[in-house]
Amino acid sequence: MSNLKRKINNMNLVRFRFWFQIVAFLLIVYGGYIGFDLGNKLPTFACVYNGDFTGGKCYLGMLQHDLKHPWETFLGFAGYAFLISLGIFIGWLWLLNKAWCGYVCPLGTMQDWITAFRTKLKIRFSQYDWSSRAKIKPIKWILLILLLIIPVMIANSVFGLPKLPNGLSMPFCDICPGRMLIPAFTGDFGQFYIDFSSKTDLVMTTLGMIIVGLFLIGSFIKKRFFCYFCPMAALQYTFSKPALLKLYKDGSKCTKCGDCYRACDMDILEIADDVTSKNLVTEDCTLCLKCVAACPEEGCLEANFAGKTIFESTKEGFIIRMAMDKKGESS
Amino acid sequence: MEAIKIINSIKDDFKSTIQSMNYFYELFEKVYCKNEPLHNGKTKIGTMCIQIPSEIIYALDGVPIRLCNGFYTDDEIGSDLLTQKACPLVKATVGHFASNNFTDKPDIVFSPTTCDQKTKAGAIVKNFGYKVVDVDFPRTKESEGSREYWRKSIKQFAVELSKFKNKKLTKSNLEVSIKKIGYAQSLYHKLSEYRKQEIAPILGVDMFLITNAFFFDKIDSWIEAMEVLLKEMKTRVDEKINVAGKMSPRIVFTGSPPIFPNYKIPLIIEQSDALIVADETCSSNRMFNDMVAVDEWNLYDMIDSISDKYLKACTCPIFTTNDDRIRRIIDLVKNYKADAVVYQAFAGCTVYEMEQRSVLDAMEKAGIPILYIESDYSPSQQGQLSTRIEAFVESLKTRRRNKNR
Ligand code: SF4
Ligand code: SF4
Ligand code: SF4
Ligand code: SF4
Ligand code: SF4
Repeated sequence: MSNLKRKINNMNLVRFRFWFQIVAFLLIVYGGYIGFDLGNKLPTFACVYNGDFTGGKCYLGMLQHDLKHPWETFLGFAGYAFLISLGIFIGWLWLLNKAWCGYVCPLGTMQDWITAFRTKLKIRFSQYDWSSRAKIKPIKWILLILLLIIPVMIANSVFGLPKLPNGLSMPFCDICPGRMLIPAFTGDFGQFYIDFSSKTDLVMTTLGMIIVGLFLIGSFIKKRFFCYFCPMAALQYTFSKPALLKLYKDGSKCTKCGDCYRACDMDILEIADDVTSKNLVTEDCTLCLKCVAACPEEGCLEANFAGKTIFESTKEGFIIRMAMDKKGESS
Repeated sequence: MEAIKIINSIKDDFKSTIQSMNYFYELFEKVYCKNEPLHNGKTKIGTMCIQIPSEIIYALDGVPIRLCNGFYTDDEIGSDLLTQKACPLVKATVGHFASNNFTDKPDIVFSPTTCDQKTKAGAIVKNFGYKVVDVDFPRTKESEGSREYWRKSIKQFAVELSKFKNKKLTKSNLEVSIKKIGYAQSLYHKLSEYRKQEIAPILGVDMFLITNAFFFDKIDSWIEAMEVLLKEMKTRVDEKINVAGKMSPRIVFTGSPPIFPNYKIPLIIEQSDALIVADETCSSNRMFNDMVAVDEWNLYDMIDSISDKYLKACTCPIFTTNDDRIRRIIDLVKNYKADAVVYQAFAGCTVYEMEQRSVLDAMEKAGIPILYIESDYSPSQQGQLSTRIEAFVESLKTRRRNKNR
């Protein structure tokens, strides 16, 4: 094993991720200030409501906007534009796969900060029981389908139903905590409002406020609380299979010790219990790689980029990360 | 008698003895032949199985003493108290309590409800007047329920011990002890690395002594001895000192645990010119393989991590399904470049006997030769066992030769 490889496998992933997330957060939330711009099709919550500051824009916002066109236009230019947008989104996704969630998304990072705060207070996290965990899984898919359909139904009469009111034009943005929380970091609290102009606006903006509250409280109690319901995660997963970055498992080396599962903020059971699949990027996975860092079995889990192992579980790495490589104090 | 005989044959029957093994030879002689106690003045916490977390015992300033016993003399006493047909390990353990000849007598005993016989043994020992506390252990490990159940049991155990010791379990004392045991385990892993090499630097029986010493030794002395041993290993590897022959078949040992001084089968294997390069037993590898993995270093997560370590990764045959054990054996064979597996089942240990078929089938599928041996603690049958093992070793050598051609 080359020295560099060994160094990487022995790294303190928690620290690496902490700093990576900070840099990514700064670039996404304040990047516009220094002219940094990754375009408006990012597979992560770089909120468009963050105005000039944002270092890139969220595709989910864009997508809702793109879909609010009459049928006919999709057959022409708008259709091409839509496909190109989607293509660019997929391109970004294939580069990092779901690691956009584990390393870049400002909302994900905020939740991790709240978790760090809770840990400092020595307050225990909660977990869903397995059956509830399974029950909430479809919610993100339902949200995704709604946010795709509603804009279409504003511009078109679907199955002869009346068109939806215009107030719903960005249905998910209305309730997305990113809209309020991300601009707040650039001093813009203007998104914390309730809109009384119409019934739909009233309902949606109130819902938005409630969800921000839930986001803050929820992620204090449950790690990555919001990510369990996030339609972006669902959209990403739809195109995740051919992505370059992968989380691979060699089941023959797995002892099912469950260390990975306990480290996983998304409580993904398969990571420990599935010993037959190779690709372990599951629908809720954020590719945070905490599981790789927590696995004590040599080469059992690995992060792989375009066929090359970039970070894998090793006994030595595990021992160093758990601070078991030194004698320590004797009692 | 039994003890010294074994120590001497390990010391004298093999070539190129390891200098730093003397620590372990002397340790066993001191404790089992001269009956010199190691832990005067300390609270000794007896454990009846591998599942009682030493991390918590050390954190509460106790010394864990694992009471699984390998003496034939105690086995005979136990036979009169239990049934003749029971597992010799359980009989010997109960016999030990009955004869009350402890070098370091436990002040309290925790008995996890693992196999039927162990479970009953706890109650029998209690009748002898010892303080025994049962610790509920689940028989499945896949379900959510069993995980929760065991976490509760461990919390209860920590509470009981904390009361007994009149000491509080804290974030800092538990963290220190987790890391200390983790360090000890890391030394075992380092030593195991050497066993993967073509030129084998250490015998399997020596390894069993080292790991069995962890049952009762002072942890700091054990760690020191290991550090010295590891240094010697390095020079031995550099000098290419081989404890076995060039053609000696490499064996993975599994099944009922070899516990000092019952090294009957491992000794015969190694006296027959084979070498044990790895094992999958609860008296050795299973004690060291998995280290406690904590995500949030606070008391709540440390205790849960400890619980999970003792349940989830455990390959004990008392569980319902046991694919994990099979996968583990195959992985060991691959990693340690072994030629074959030897599976020992104690006569009377129904769970290991019952699991035999599935393991044999899996090995056949994987193309790994396996020898299944039923054994007990009695010194008889030695000749018959030797013949079988020698024949097996010969067949492995032939297989190797054919492969090399
Ligand atoms: S409100 Fe949410 S979904 Fe809409 S653009 Fe902002 S981050 Fe994206
Ligand atoms: S799941 Fe959604 S909120 Fe969570 S990190 Fe991913 S994009 Fe961000
Ligand atoms: S930590 Fe590694 S060995 Fe343990 S269950 Fe997870 S993948 Fe398997
Ligand atoms: S499975 Fe691994 S990479 Fe995916 S979310 Fe869980 S810990 Fe992170
Ligand atoms: S060897 Fe078998 S019967 Fe004996 S204590 Fe272990 S599991 Fe129980």
